[in-house]
Amino acid sequence: MATLQVDRITKKFKTDVVLDEVSFEAEEGETLVIFGPSGSGKTVLLRVIAGVYEPEEGKVVLQGHDMTDVAPEHRDVGMAFQNFALFPHFSARENIASPLTALGKSDSQIEEQVLSIAKLLKIEHVLEHFPRALSNGQKQRTALARALVAAPKTVLLDDPLRNVDAKLRFEMRLELPRLLRRFGSTVLYVTQDYREAMALADRIAVLVGGKIAQFDTPESIYLRPSSIEVAKLFGEPAINILRGQVNDEANRVSVNQNQFILPKGFHNNAGSICDIGIRPESIRLFREKRAGTISLEVITITPLNERSVVLLRSQEGLELLATYPAEEKTAKIGDPFWGMVVPEDLLLFEIESGQRCLPKQN
Amino acid sequence: MFVPEIQLSLNSVDKTYYGKKIEAAVRAVKNLSLQISKGEIVALLGSSGCGKTSTLRMIAGFEDVTGGTIQLSNRDIHQLPPAKRNVAMAFEGYSLYPPLTVRDNIAFALKAERISRSESDAKVMEMAKFLEIEEILDKYPSSISAGQQQRASLARALVRKADLYLLDEPMGQLEPQLRSVLRVRLKQYLQEHQMTTVLVTHDQTEANALADRIAVMEDGELQQFESPTQLKHRPANIYVGTFIGEPPMNTFAAEVKPIGKGFQFQLEEAGEILDYQNVDFPKSLRDQLIKHRRIVLGLRPHAVKLGKGALKAQVISNQWLGDQSHIAAEFANRIVVAVSHQREAFKLDENVPFHLEASDIHFFNAENGNAIAHGLEI
Amino acid sequence: MNQLSKSQRVFRGTLLGLVILFFMFPIFWIFLMSFQTNEQILRIPPSIFFEPTLINYQALITGRLETQAGNLDIAFMENLWNSVFLSSSAVLLSLVLGVPAAYAFARYRFRLGEDIAFTILSFRFAPPLLVLLPLTLYFEDIGLSNTYTGLIWVYQLISLPLILWIVRGYFEDISPDIESAYRLAGHSWLKTFMKISIPLARPGIAAAGLLSFIFAWNNFVFALVLASADKQPVTVGALAFVTASGIQYGQIAAGIVLSVTPTLLLALYAQRYLVEGLSLGAVKG
Repeated sequence: MATLQVDRITKKFKTDVVLDEVSFEAEEGETLVIFGPSGSGKTVLLRVIAGVYEPEEGKVVLQGHDMTDVAPEHRDVGMAFQNFALFPHFSARENIASPLTALGKSDSQIEEQVLSIAKLLKIEHVLEHFPRALSNGQKQRTALARALVAAPKTVLLDDPLRNVDAKLRFEMRLELPRLLRRFGSTVLYVTQDYREAMALADRIAVLVGGKIAQFDTPESIYLRPSSIEVAKLFGEPAINILRGQVNDEANRVSVNQNQFILPKGFHNNAGSICDIGIRPESIRLFREKRAGTISLEVITITPLNERSVVLLRSQEGLELLATYPAEEKTAKIGDPFWGMVVPEDLLLFEIESGQRCLPKQN
Repeated sequence: MFVPEIQLSLNSVDKTYYGKKIEAAVRAVKNLSLQISKGEIVALLGSSGCGKTSTLRMIAGFEDVTGGTIQLSNRDIHQLPPAKRNVAMAFEGYSLYPPLTVRDNIAFALKAERISRSESDAKVMEMAKFLEIEEILDKYPSSISAGQQQRASLARALVRKADLYLLDEPMGQLEPQLRSVLRVRLKQYLQEHQMTTVLVTHDQTEANALADRIAVMEDGELQQFESPTQLKHRPANIYVGTFIGEPPMNTFAAEVKPIGKGFQFQLEEAGEILDYQNVDFPKSLRDQLIKHRRIVLGLRPHAVKLGKGALKAQVISNQWLGDQSHIAAEFANRIVVAVSHQREAFKLDENVPFHLEASDIHFFNAENGNAIAHGLEI
Repeated sequence: MNQLSKSQRVFRGTLLGLVILFFMFPIFWIFLMSFQTNEQILRIPPSIFFEPTLINYQALITGRLETQAGNLDIAFMENLWNSVFLSSSAVLLSLVLGVPAAYAFARYRFRLGEDIAFTILSFRFAPPLLVLLPLTLYFEDIGLSNTYTGLIWVYQLISLPLILWIVRGYFEDISPDIESAYRLAGHSWLKTFMKISIPLARPGIAAAGLLSFIFAWNNFVFALVLASADKQPVTVGALAFVTASGIQYGQIAAGIVLSVTPTLLLALYAQRYLVEGLSLGAVKG
């Protein structure tokens, strides 16, 4: 039985429907990421689960108990906020100790537990400082320590890395999973950064416009997105979307005068107009012409850490963004390349609904 | 030879903030000299407190220059009030005029230019399309999101005709997807219109994507001022080497042991040995390495070649991000991060063999952190 | 740009000096007067040099005034006590009622919330005379004339709106996330209010309380009309010095010094709260 269940939660602010029948569940010890663009309702959802907001409809079930009428302080939930929300008039130590004092632990026990988690998060040297004397990175770790110290069954992390320098954000992306595994709590993590989502999640609930667009493992969402909307949210640069026509044999799709080979199974879409999605990394570039490739010219090149992003244009005016390992090639503006896409890497979407077309197995 | 015209010049600029006591004085910017060409996009990059924002504010005129001079288009500007410098600035915080709509805020910047109403409207519209804020043009600053406010602020700065454009963390409030798209557009726009730009950021990905040259700052001092490629391939010191690039460069402090034709490097702490005794080190590099008995080795994530080799590491995490994998493993008492451009099957706690090519090593002086050689070239 | 030139500094100093002189001179003069006899005060030309005497203070404290026309009993010390008691009680009551109310207005949106808050504030705009006549009649009817209870109740018109509006701004400035964080740490709503909300709003509460105390202390009209001699505060009590045999300037001066001293001391002590308190709330970001 799932340890955390969100069942058709609907939340309105005046007439604005911020959450629309949101449902998903998480197993014990799972890290579930709630991912979506800003304004999608992620923070509101987290607060409904925490008990800070009351939903108009639906219920939250934690450890098998319906929490609808339970006050936040009785839900056994630890939460870290985006803006840290540290108590400004308490030292870092007192901030972290706060959940333990509520449990009525002895002073020595509290001291021990606070020190232990501070060491884990490398902030034991600033425990006596007040929030105003802490750097953003230290504040973030203090907030995290406070959320975790009492080892609550459910941990809610509201975009905790948002207000932290890029360098530290990357470091935490590597450290957090190990840290969270130590505590064994069920974690709900909110973020707008798809890399963070993919790095941390066992499963991702993609929230768009107050609704769950897809709820699956990172791999499934990235490779088999349920819609164009979801496909665009994952990957940098964003996925190339081209409008094309599937031929009658359903083995090719043409975009302007260029053709891409379709994998098997799309007979249902024979002859129709579709949107095809090509992820930048799935465009294979060669210096010489090969079977099935299109002729392309380099328009711009931009570095993106370990990869390079190149904007290419075909003679017919088709523009594509591709990426390749930075160390692999040195390309210049104007260089000619021959590009192709492996059929299995092509994604096909319906025009009207934006839903992905699923290949059939017969 | 084509010598680009210098547009902005900082000469030995110093900034000291005085407190109540003598000891409380903080030297935020130390002896900074930069020459920026017309039409160039320069990024001031560093973590919080490195002096980049103080520098920007001095160029804008919101802070006094404690020492040194600043010239823009060949005239001294460091003693002029901000309004007289012909500089446009986009601020990080809330800087839109509350009683004006977004449209009027942007148009306000054009008032001084004496262009016709229709021309002004057209420019505002073009800018709004470019930054994707058309829907909020008629809204007031208090009713739009932080990301929209930031774009409006950017629009207001860019729409003006100025000698210099200063952008303070121009995309800090924007969500990742939007940031990605706007970065490309912003760069194209600035290049197309030959706008000399100085931007401040703590995000090296952003600096790399936007800037022609990056000035890396730490603790008030300029570390290196070169193109992104140069910074990546030939970092001047350990600080620059580890700051540029994500995942960051892996560093190992080691003792130099000349052996055979080449060297062995014994890693401090765990005592692991990196064996390059059969590698041909050029004489100049040999001499340098023998001179420094302790050095720091820097290896970028792509240089950690997993799968085979004499070295072994234990996997702590294997994160697949769609177009690449970041694998963190424990080796020689530290965490080493490797990058692979495909999905890897490594499991937690698995012991993985790996190797490091000598041509990928960045050698740094262990005492002062300065670079000795990159690959086998000094 | 940040350093003032010498002449600018001299100019600034002179200006400040003049301003201080303008405001402080009356108080200084009255202070001097309180140590002089009536003859010394009325002497022409007035002089700063004189033999100080304590008879004015004596008269006030002992309650007996000796004039040419005879002896009078003055209830000044009683009046002083009334002022202290009335102002303190009124402010205390306003705090007990106003602080939780300010929190409610800050945190919860309820129907007519803004209207109610504004109505309460409007009490400060209205001239006291507006309500005075009806009040005297009502107070007679319900037996609250000349009672401490009645006066403290009426003083709420002065102190409650101030506390409500200033403290509300303070509560609004506390991020609700901080309170949520304390709740989620396992503490009840009440504990959160006492340990987080109130301490963080303390500068505002102190400032509002202090300001209310000063306004309540200075009030003249309510006490004049709704109370008689034994319940009157110093503001009204000072009238007693205008006697049939002439105005007792010396005693008035001494009376003023005594009545100004408590609030002056309180304000001097808490002045940093006043400035910090009043401006912190207003400026956002």
